[in-house]
This record gives sequence, C-alpha cells and structure tokens, in this order.
Amino acid sequence: MAGKVVVTGMGIVSSLGLDLETNWTNVVAGQSGIRYITLFDASKSQTRIAGEVPGGFAEHSKQYIKKRAASQMTRVTKMCVVASKDAVRHAGIDFEQMDKTRCSVIMGVVSTGNSSVEIDTTPQNTVFKSMSNSMSAWVSLEYQLTGPNYAVNTACASSAYALAAGFDMIRNHQADIVLVGGADSIINKEEIEGFNALYALSVQNDPPERASKPFSADRDGFVIGEGAGVIILESEESAIRRGAVIYAELAGYGLSSEGYNIMAPMKDGEGMAFTMNKALYSTGLSVHEVDYINAHGTSTELNDRYETLAIKRVFGDHARQIPVSSSKSMLGHTIGAAGTIEGIITTLSLYHGIITPTINLFNPDPDLDLDFVPHVFRKQEIHVALSNSFGFGGHNATIVFRKY
Amino acid sequence: MAQITEHTRDEVQKIVYEFFADECEVDISEISDQTNIIKDLDGDSLMFLELIEIFKKKYNLEIELKTIGKYAVKHPVETIGQLIDMQMLIIEHENHIMDLD
Repeated sequence: MAGKVVVTGMGIVSSLGLDLETNWTNVVAGQSGIRYITLFDASKSQTRIAGEVPGGFAEHSKQYIKKRAASQMTRVTKMCVVASKDAVRHAGIDFEQMDKTRCSVIMGVVSTGNSSVEIDTTPQNTVFKSMSNSMSAWVSLEYQLTGPNYAVNTACASSAYALAAGFDMIRNHQADIVLVGGADSIINKEEIEGFNALYALSVQNDPPERASKPFSADRDGFVIGEGAGVIILESEESAIRRGAVIYAELAGYGLSSEGYNIMAPMKDGEGMAFTMNKALYSTGLSVHEVDYINAHGTSTELNDRYETLAIKRVFGDHARQIPVSSSKSMLGHTIGAAGTIEGIITTLSLYHGIITPTINLFNPDPDLDLDFVPHVFRKQEIHVALSNSFGFGGHNATIVFRKY
Repeated sequence: MAQITEHTRDEVQKIVYEFFADECEVDISEISDQTNIIKDLDGDSLMFLELIEIFKKKYNLEIELKTIGKYAVKHPVETIGQLIDMQMLIIEHENHIMDLD
C-alpha cells in the first residue's frame, strides 16, 4: 500500500518578505506587497504596479549563493535557490545523512526571468541564465542530489503540477524526498505590454495596494507578483525516521487540460469544476470534508466568475459554508511560483488553524456570493483544504492538503 | 607566438591564483598548485575558457578555442598546477599545441 506524502519544510521569497515567517505574518495580517514598479521605468506603461521582491534581496542572496554560481543565475533563479535552501533548513534535512539517489528536485518554471530587467547578462552566461531547467539543476547541484531533477511548465499552474509530480514520485517509490517549487517574474516592460494588450492586467495603479481585488465588482485584471516558493515533500516513513515536524499531508490532486482556448477558461468553470472533482476523487474525500479553498482568485473578470461557479457546481449547497480566499489579493500573481507559494499558505493554514484573508474586497461582486474571508484572517480549525491553480493554455490543477 | 621569459610562469601563476581566489571566494593563501579545481574550489569548466580569454588578450595570442578544447579533452586538467602548465603550453605554442601530440 502506498504511504502518505507529507510536507516537512517550506521556503518563500516574495513581495511580502524574504523568508517564510515574514511572509506568513504578512499574509495573516492582510498586508499587500503591491507597489509602484522600480525594476524598470514603467511611467509610460498602462500598468505601473507589481509585487516586487524587496530590493534587499540582492544582498540577502549573497549569504546563500557563491559569487561564481550567482554570476550564472538570474535574479529569479537566485530566489529559487534561496527559497530552496530555506526550505531544506526548515525541514532540518542534512543531505549528508540521506541517500542522495532518493532525493529529487522538480521546479515549476515558466521562464527564468532573463529579460530586459536582468543585469549582468553576457554571452558567457546567457545560456545558463535562460535554461528553464537551470533552477532545478542549481538546487540539485547545491546538495549533489542524484535523484531526477527537472522542470515543469504549465504556465500559471506550473508549480502546482510540480507538486503533483513530486507526489507521484514519492508514491511510486522513486524518491523519499522531493524539493518541489517554482519561481517566476514577468515584471519587465515587454511582458507587461503583452499582458496589457490582452487586457489581462489591472490598470488601477493608484493606490497600488488596492489594485488586486479578487471577487470584487470593480476588479479589472490581475496584478503581477514575483518570487519563489519551495516545499519539501517527503514520504511519511522518511519524515518519521528523521523525527521531522510534519506540517500537513499532501493527500492527492486533480489535473486536467481544457482543450478549449489558449487564454480563456471554459465557460461557467466547467473545466475548473472537473479538476476539483478529480482531486476529490483521487483522495476519496467527500465534498463535505473540505473546509477551506485557497482559490486561484486572480482578480480577472473571467477567472473569479468561473471559479466561483465551479466551486458551486462541485460543492452544491455546501459551497457557501466553505471559506474561500485569494492570496493573490496580497501577493499578486506570481505565475509559475503561485502553485507552491499558495500551497505553502494552505499548508500553514492547516497547521496553524488560521485562514488568510482576501483583501481589497470593499465592493463585492453580487454574483460572486461565497464566503471570501474579506479583509481579516479567521481563526478556524481546518482539516482538508484545496489549492487551485489554472493556467493559460487550459492547464488546471487542484492540490489537496490534509491536516496531519 | 608569445615570447616566453623566465618570469612568464610566475606571471601566469599569479593571474591564475588571483582569478580563482576572486571567483571562488577563497583566500589566495589557500590555493596551491595541488589544489583541485572542482573538488576543492567548487570551480567549473567555464573558468578554463575564461582564463584562456584573459591570456589571449594579455599575450595577444592567436588561438581557436576549438583547438584548445580538443587538446584539453586529451589532456584533462584537474589541479591548478596542471592548469598553469597547460596555459604555458598554449602561450608558447598557440594553435600548434595539437602538434605536441
């Protein structure tokens, strides 16, 4: 019989902080990480705001990454390595005491961020900076892990897919420990112009911290965030053997492809509902056992409408009793990193019995009538939580976490 | 071809030691000719290429990296001392280094 897969460590770098504790404190407090863009001159852009990782990151990363390796990494790859090393430390893992052939790395990566805002890119390092497998490779190199290491790209669902892949790897006895994560930044002139051209981004620039407003009537698009989130997935057997703290169980997942449109989700959230149902089916849980959903909740017109409809479709009358909140209201959309960053927030919600809020919900959309946990956190014991991620291209993922 | 003098090896050694001390963030006193580039310094193969570029400019060498690469494959370098020896051969023989085999 397949054993449980558990979470034993986590690391985050985001606009709300450079470490796990600061991030958790800030999301519980309902802080916004959205500010005016400083990475480039955005004064002529329609969107002039984003959730940038604090400027102190460059100096902070020097404690983690040697100069030589750093010169071959983008800023985003460094975020991934920093979050990974924090997660390993958080998990109390000494890889020298582990069988490294049974330790793996899977990263959700849309791009490495080797864009126009990246400094010090030269012909000698541009290949290393651009390789989408570089994040998993650097983490693997850091600890000389010889289990598989690779990258997954399913747009905004990338690191959620990485979680699913890590889960399978442990359940199939291919690994005891998998570092699963994602890191991303699309805060650059070209991509902001591109997303503006698709009417996907919020242009409500003033004040920045109010722009990301999932489930609001006046939402007008997502706000870009950036950062990295890394989760240590481990077989229950290995975690118990090490005496590790277990923060939650990753109980299962649902993945699906919509086969519908490169950008828009299927009408009325049909594909999203299918994915959530698939996740529940994979775990054998009933709808009544779910007591929290960390929504994809992007603050776009279609996502929030369809995700709400999908939750109602799956949970029926029980839907209104489930708290649903959007971490993106505070962090913005961290794209490839969102799946694991939000997975971490979901895990800590289970562990601490605290549901983080949806901020900026001052003007709720009357059509979206679920309990979105507005403004302030809620102290509430939860046992089963879903974390949704839906990506351009129709990549859907629902990850199921259970209290351990 | 570059003019080799009795000081050339000292000059090359100084450049190589300083390069590795700086890139690998170690004290130069920790580096010797016996130091293993990968195991002891956490170095990488790109460093070899970067050093060739440095010497190419310094001594105005006519070399093609492909030629050097072929030679390096046949004569793997592991230690700082071996690297200095190879740089000396490159400076002395440039593209004719393959004729040494």
